[in-house]
Amino acid sequence: MVDFVQLVILGLLAGGVYVAVGVGFGLVWGVLNIVNLAHGALVVVGGYLTWQLFTTLHLDPFLTLPVDAVALFVFGYALQRGVINRIIRAPLLFTFLLTFGLNLIVVNLLLLIFGSDFRSVTPSYSGQGFEFGSIVIPYVPLISLGVAIALSASLAFVLNRTRTGLAINAIASDRDAAQLVGIDLRHAYAVTYGLGAACAGVAGGLIALIQAITPTAGEPYTLQAFVVVILGGLGRVSATVVGGLAFGLVEAFGQSIPGSGSVFANAIAFGLMVLVLVTRPQGLMGRLR
Amino acid sequence: MIARADTHRRWRRIFLILGVIVGAYALLAPLTSLDIAQSAGVPLLADRLWFRIATFIAMFVVMATAWNIIGGITGYAAFGNVAFFGIGAYTTGMLISKARWPFLAALPVAPVMSTAFAAVVGLPLLRLRGHYFAVASLGVGVAVGELVQNVEYRGQPIFGGASGLFLPIYAVDNRGLFFFYLMVLAAAISIAVTWWVLRSRLGYGLIAIRENEEAAAVIGVNTTAYKVAAFALAAALTGLAGGIFSQWNVFINQDNTFPIEYNVQMILMALLGGTGTVFGPAAGAVLLQLLIQFLGGSLPISADIPFVSESARPIVAQVILGVLLVVVVIFVPRGVIDFFGGRTRLSLAYLRRSLRETSL
Amino acid sequence: MGQNRGWVMTVRRLALLAVAAVAMMACGGSGSGGPTTGSTIVLGAPLGLTGALTKESTLTQQGYNLWLDWINTRGGILVNGVKHPVQIKYYDDTSNANQSAVLMQKLITEDKANFLLGPYGSAATATDAAIAEQNQIPMVEANGAAQSIFNQGYKYTFGVLSPANKYLQGVIDMAATLNPKPTTIAMLSADDNFSLEVANAINTYAPTKGMNVVLFKKYKNGATNLGAEVQAAKAANPDIVLNSGHLTEAIAINKAAKQQKLNAKIFAYSVGPSTPDFITALGADANFVYDGSQWTPQVKYTPAFYLTVAQYVAAYKAKYAGLGDPDYHVAESTAACLALQRAIENAGSLDPKKVRDALAALDVTVFFGQIKFDSRGINIYKPMVVEQIQSGVHHTVFPADIADAQPMYPTPAWDQR
Repeated sequence: MVDFVQLVILGLLAGGVYVAVGVGFGLVWGVLNIVNLAHGALVVVGGYLTWQLFTTLHLDPFLTLPVDAVALFVFGYALQRGVINRIIRAPLLFTFLLTFGLNLIVVNLLLLIFGSDFRSVTPSYSGQGFEFGSIVIPYVPLISLGVAIALSASLAFVLNRTRTGLAINAIASDRDAAQLVGIDLRHAYAVTYGLGAACAGVAGGLIALIQAITPTAGEPYTLQAFVVVILGGLGRVSATVVGGLAFGLVEAFGQSIPGSGSVFANAIAFGLMVLVLVTRPQGLMGRLR
Repeated sequence: MIARADTHRRWRRIFLILGVIVGAYALLAPLTSLDIAQSAGVPLLADRLWFRIATFIAMFVVMATAWNIIGGITGYAAFGNVAFFGIGAYTTGMLISKARWPFLAALPVAPVMSTAFAAVVGLPLLRLRGHYFAVASLGVGVAVGELVQNVEYRGQPIFGGASGLFLPIYAVDNRGLFFFYLMVLAAAISIAVTWWVLRSRLGYGLIAIRENEEAAAVIGVNTTAYKVAAFALAAALTGLAGGIFSQWNVFINQDNTFPIEYNVQMILMALLGGTGTVFGPAAGAVLLQLLIQFLGGSLPISADIPFVSESARPIVAQVILGVLLVVVVIFVPRGVIDFFGGRTRLSLAYLRRSLRETSL
Repeated sequence: MGQNRGWVMTVRRLALLAVAAVAMMACGGSGSGGPTTGSTIVLGAPLGLTGALTKESTLTQQGYNLWLDWINTRGGILVNGVKHPVQIKYYDDTSNANQSAVLMQKLITEDKANFLLGPYGSAATATDAAIAEQNQIPMVEANGAAQSIFNQGYKYTFGVLSPANKYLQGVIDMAATLNPKPTTIAMLSADDNFSLEVANAINTYAPTKGMNVVLFKKYKNGATNLGAEVQAAKAANPDIVLNSGHLTEAIAINKAAKQQKLNAKIFAYSVGPSTPDFITALGADANFVYDGSQWTPQVKYTPAFYLTVAQYVAAYKAKYAGLGDPDYHVAESTAACLALQRAIENAGSLDPKKVRDALAALDVTVFFGQIKFDSRGINIYKPMVVEQIQSGVHHTVFPADIADAQPMYPTPAWDQR
């Protein structure tokens, strides 16, 4: 029983990271119809930013997260406005390939700047946690989960209650109609992508705390973002939150399958994703687009 | 007006002749490595490195052309076709290494298995559209690779597991020549199949599905059957390439038979060359693979990147590849076959036009 | 006009011939009686200089280059009284095994490599071994320890490192000497070829020393979240926690162990703790961790040639300042070059078959340990060494005759550090 509870806790805590990775990816996909294969690279950039600030300025890593968000927002805005906007009206496949190329560029630039060494952020309180008998709730993943939920909440707030958010919703529903009512499409698209990148940056900061990062560490997160977003469903931030937490739980309990256990984690996750797509494309909670 | 049409026709003829010459060279040069030719004093025009690279290129021609059938002609952008490659490779690999079948008997089974898999998986999958189909097929591609590597029976991995499968080195004279021509044969079959599809009722139906699936259904096209047929054809050809690969490479495991990058590469090649055409994907495959090999330093000619240190060179090469990819996707969305078709010329006006067409 | 041109061409040709003749005479005899300089020996080495294996491939390259500098300052490899300078041609295979094969072929066909040095990683080594075999050019490798490669009957591939199954056996041997003797083992393993060989070997070896494996869990190669596995290990309450995997997973497991309060008397990871990155990433949490290592700077082998252990460490620090001590990936790569060098010298020839035979018969001790290959081509004669991180510094703790410190045993609980 104790183990079961601990596994649930571990799953939810791990899910926090997946939520953070997923919301940005889902926003860009759901609103802009762009499958951002460079998402993982943006996450790693955030991670390196946090690591750099932690190492040179000794800032607490959680304090660097807003810096990550702002920096990645600017970067994402520029990227969308300057590059990705050029193929919006092309068939969807082109965005796949463009973002794949961008991924290649960003990862290798990181490799040139930071080298291939593994970097990790280990603040003084890492490893400690709340203890209830033999059940442990470590601090860092707990705060990360909190950050991820807060991030999703702020994103949802921006999307539902601000003018910018309304504009974004408008272009999600009908791009050309939105233009007709006077929304500057180029700016709105860039803001959306910037928001997605900002979320990726924050996720990266969280990941730097949890594992050692290297320039190629982002690739698995892009794949996981797929699963999270599909599981939860495109269209609502809360859906992605559910997807991320669900994914964390699947991963935690996957290892208890007798025999090889979590070796099949990927197979299960992707199999589930395919199943969801085929039977219930709107995911566990999303709206059908 | 007439003068311009003439110029276009002239350019087209020049490109065609060039293409035939290069193609003939590529196909006949390997023959210079045969003993008969060598003893007759014919200069060696193709060595083992040439064979390795050329066979790789031919392999990608098969995969890109096969993808084109479901992705380009039918408009269903499958993102997990590498699954068929891996299934084909493991089918042949298992038959040869565990059941001791001879290679030429094991090879035809590969496309059969891939097709069967495609038919089973395609029925539910092809009900999805656009993004959803792409992501679902990606999911299938990843899941199959994971399963094949890890599935066990009584504690032992069935398909060789993480150690992979080792096949005996194929005992044939002029091994490089043999596999090259075999792969080229597969490529020729793929192109022939594409040519046939485009001229058949199946092809018309697929194009109709691509342009407007509902309308196609209304005028009586059995969309499900046609889509699954296209998917199965793509699977068969890709599986054939996989089967040849397994014996040629002698060693197969999850990483070299289910690599996710191949999915992207085969789509990119088809796009680069021109989706929906017969020779487009082949042209794209040749170009892109040559570029990748060139940047990777495996071609006999190499270029030095100025201002870059020795250790940074391979990294910078990858950056260049990424930049090239971005530039091509933005400026040449219809693929290079557009130019060889003779109707358009590579000019600043063309670039500006395609940019305007796709920009926000 | 034509005749004029013909005359000019003839003069040009004669002049070129004259220059060539003089050049040949200049090269041919030095007259002073010392070894003459022969043709350059080209060694081919495809490595994953970009991609997932960048870090380890860079270490491999460092090892190759250390030897290259040394041999070339001596004029080259001595073959029958003639010194042949050495050149190593590197290519980047982007950590892709298929690309490694293409580049291997290029090295053989275009660059006319005389001999081959191995890539990093068992997957690339497996593919490249087939190429070496088909072209009958010897390949000496130091970074692919999976036994499956050597069970294929290849005659042209030689591995100077101890095979995978030995990686953690040293830890078990050490544990058997400790008091109170640990008896239960939790074994976690990545699901790749190499890691599974290491882990499966423990399953059969541990009982021979009176220990049981109470938990065996495999996880996906490259996993970064191993909390669930650590939880399962905690439930099994083991004396020893072993991990067979790579740097990423070793760091993840250690972090999770601290967070989830998994305590054990011994934490030993097959790969990871020997690299400086492990200590910089984990800080004080890296202490007390053991690892099975191919080599450490504290071993006490007496070399038949090349540098001693201390000289090697100094040479590394001089060339690659600021990186700390050389880790075993560097040392084993240098050892591969040494094996090839000695085999060429013994064969007295650059003929591939003769060198291959010399490699098969080789038996020499260098700073890295004994280099001798069994009939399959892998070095089963060199023992693995056990290291422990103590106060942020690596120390060799087993076997006792080459240890420079005692194992700090048992590992204290996390909240008592």
